Amino acid sequence: MSSESRGSIHLDEAPRTLASGEREFMLDVHTQDLEVNMGPQHPATHGVMRILIRTDGELVTGAQPHLGYLHRCAEKIGENVEWLQYLPYTDRYDYLSAMNNNLGYSMAVEALMPGLEIPRRAQMLRTICVELNRIGSHLVAMGTYGLDIGAFTPFFYAFREREWMMALFEKICGARLTYSYIRIGGVFNDSPPGWLQEVERFCDVFEEKWQEYYDLLVVNQIFVQRTANVGVISKAMALDFGLTGPMLRGSGVDFDLRRDMPYMLYGEMTKQKVFDVIVARGEMGTLGDCWDRLYVRVVEMMESIKQVRWCLDNIKPGPVLGDIPKVLRIPIGEAYVGIENPRGELGHYVVSDGGKIAVRCRVRGPSFVNVAVLEELLPGTLLADAVAIVGSTDVVIGETDR
Amino acid sequence: MDFQGIHDHLRAIGAPGLLGVDEPRAMVPGEKPGHPKDPGRAGDPYVLVDPNKIVEFIAICRDDPRLAFEILMDLTAVDPKADDPNLWLVLQLLSIERRHRLSIKALIPKSNARVPSCTAVHRTAQWHERECAEMYGIKFEGHPDPRNILLPDDWVGFPMRKDYEFPKEYHGISCE
Amino acid sequence: MGLIEHQFEENLLTTKVDWLINWARLSSIWPMTFGLACCAIEMMAVGAAHHDIDRFGAGAFRASPRQADLMIVAGTVNFKMGERVKRLYDQMPSPKYVIAMGACATGGGPYHKFGYTVMKGVDRIVPVDVYIAGCPPRPEALLEGLMKLQEKVRNSSVIRRPARLA
Repeated sequence: MSSESRGSIHLDEAPRTLASGEREFMLDVHTQDLEVNMGPQHPATHGVMRILIRTDGELVTGAQPHLGYLHRCAEKIGENVEWLQYLPYTDRYDYLSAMNNNLGYSMAVEALMPGLEIPRRAQMLRTICVELNRIGSHLVAMGTYGLDIGAFTPFFYAFREREWMMALFEKICGARLTYSYIRIGGVFNDSPPGWLQEVERFCDVFEEKWQEYYDLLVVNQIFVQRTANVGVISKAMALDFGLTGPMLRGSGVDFDLRRDMPYMLYGEMTKQKVFDVIVARGEMGTLGDCWDRLYVRVVEMMESIKQVRWCLDNIKPGPVLGDIPKVLRIPIGEAYVGIENPRGELGHYVVSDGGKIAVRCRVRGPSFVNVAVLEELLPGTLLADAVAIVGSTDVVIGETDR
Repeated sequence: MDFQGIHDHLRAIGAPGLLGVDEPRAMVPGEKPGHPKDPGRAGDPYVLVDPNKIVEFIAICRDDPRLAFEILMDLTAVDPKADDPNLWLVLQLLSIERRHRLSIKALIPKSNARVPSCTAVHRTAQWHERECAEMYGIKFEGHPDPRNILLPDDWVGFPMRKDYEFPKEYHGISCE
Repeated sequence: MGLIEHQFEENLLTTKVDWLINWARLSSIWPMTFGLACCAIEMMAVGAAHHDIDRFGAGAFRASPRQADLMIVAGTVNFKMGERVKRLYDQMPSPKYVIAMGACATGGGPYHKFGYTVMKGVDRIVPVDVYIAGCPPRPEALLEGLMKLQEKVRNSSVIRRPARLA
């Protein structure tokens, strides 16, 4: 090892004199390259991701994400169990937004069943659940991001509303986290009496509380200074890495599948201008920094509330499940359906040979793609910022590893 | 553009490696419903591409102003049957500017599963290809970082192949 | 478990010491911040205000295994992670306890049959004190698991066991 790479500190020979009269000594510090494991058990990696970070003092000079600590073979299972039996597994890859996963898988299978009609009430209930789940997911993203940065309170605030949201889901389908509520052909059951009114009450309360989050965290001066101008993803880089969802909109790309390639009822909502697509403008610093990504997530929650309210206004009684046999045989074919998940485009690519079991059940997890950007983003930042950057990707490890 | 428009445009600009097209079709009428000769097909249309020219193909899809497929959404493989001689390589492209999608399929022989790496055109292909390589045993030539991504480094076999046998034990821990 | 368990003869003093030590231990079981999968979200919910694990003295989630008494294995363990789980367990100081939270940590859960990388139960690598059923278990179930563990701690003793039982 050469003497250059050893740690050594020596004083600069000519100290400068500052305007105030103080003398400033420049320390010329040589440090040794150090490889540090961040994870797999680390509070700030949101699960069991491992990032091998090479540091030179406080400076990160290289980063390599290692995945696979939660590889649960979901795609192989998809090729071994029946179509409907696979639905509970979709809950478990992105466990923060299980409703969205149910929807993505159901829509992919429905794309292979051309004659199938989804009842309108089922679509309404689907939209309500999906958007409520998006709020819940963004709440966790916001709360845990606060934890990463060092703010403890937003976590408690976020989980307070999230508990209510989970209680709502429990009332409609019996589960708090893994719902399997949205089925192929519709939804599992109708909403219980009084449920829609409670959702409305939730919306009322949430709108009030949302302002609290915004004031407490998003425009908090300490928070802004920790996240603005940190981890900047340019537009070209975002497209090259295939980022989607809030990561893409955080870089200033105005694209949301719900508005631009609408599915379900979102086309109708777009025509009636029910919701806006939140795109970051780089208000607090450079466009595409960590603050922008969190801003998009937090403001998006209010758009979800608008969508839920639209559904509550327009929902009418009716059937909630289409004409679906007990044992599904899906026609031969293959389809790719991408939907807007809280983390980005969740794609399901299903191939059927006409039988009871899928030939291929591919999941394009948005986190898997979004995390890849860390390899490029972390080098050149400070070690303390690395935590902020990892948190801003809002990764769910169940989905990166599947 | 719809699929027909994209396909016509690809023909018009002479996209390299474009072999054909497969569109969903109904079952041929008059056949017995039990064992029809052509059972028809549901789902999405796709274009068939020569696997050796796939890099040039997606490069022209990205750079052509009327196609403008900026994002490679997904890159995956399919093992259709245990006794099928081919694997499928399936790519999904998305254009944000034009708001359309395209599915691409390439057939790769299982006996010599090699395909050039798309990483130079879309950086996002890097991790997808690593996953494909470990799961299906496809060799991506020119890949900058060909390590396992999800499986441990000393894993034996390609789990997503249809003829894969589940392991009995791993590092002394029983899998039964 | 610890250094002093089963080391002393039975007498009046050891009974009181027993009570004191066990009370101190069971009232401050500090878990390790160690979330693996879906169950970790429910573990976070237990830590948050509504379910409030702090009522049981177990709310101080430690980021380092060296400061923790309890490992809540909240989620699926696969072979790649299994080595790390074992290492983390070894790094914890005695007395240490393990809760297998949820179906996956207990026995592979829904991934038992086709999950080629999934370890069929975390008890194949570390000893487990309490198993909690559910996929994922409700926060109340985790709290009950913690209470079961407290019961176990309450019944441990510094008294030397008779030779034939030891």
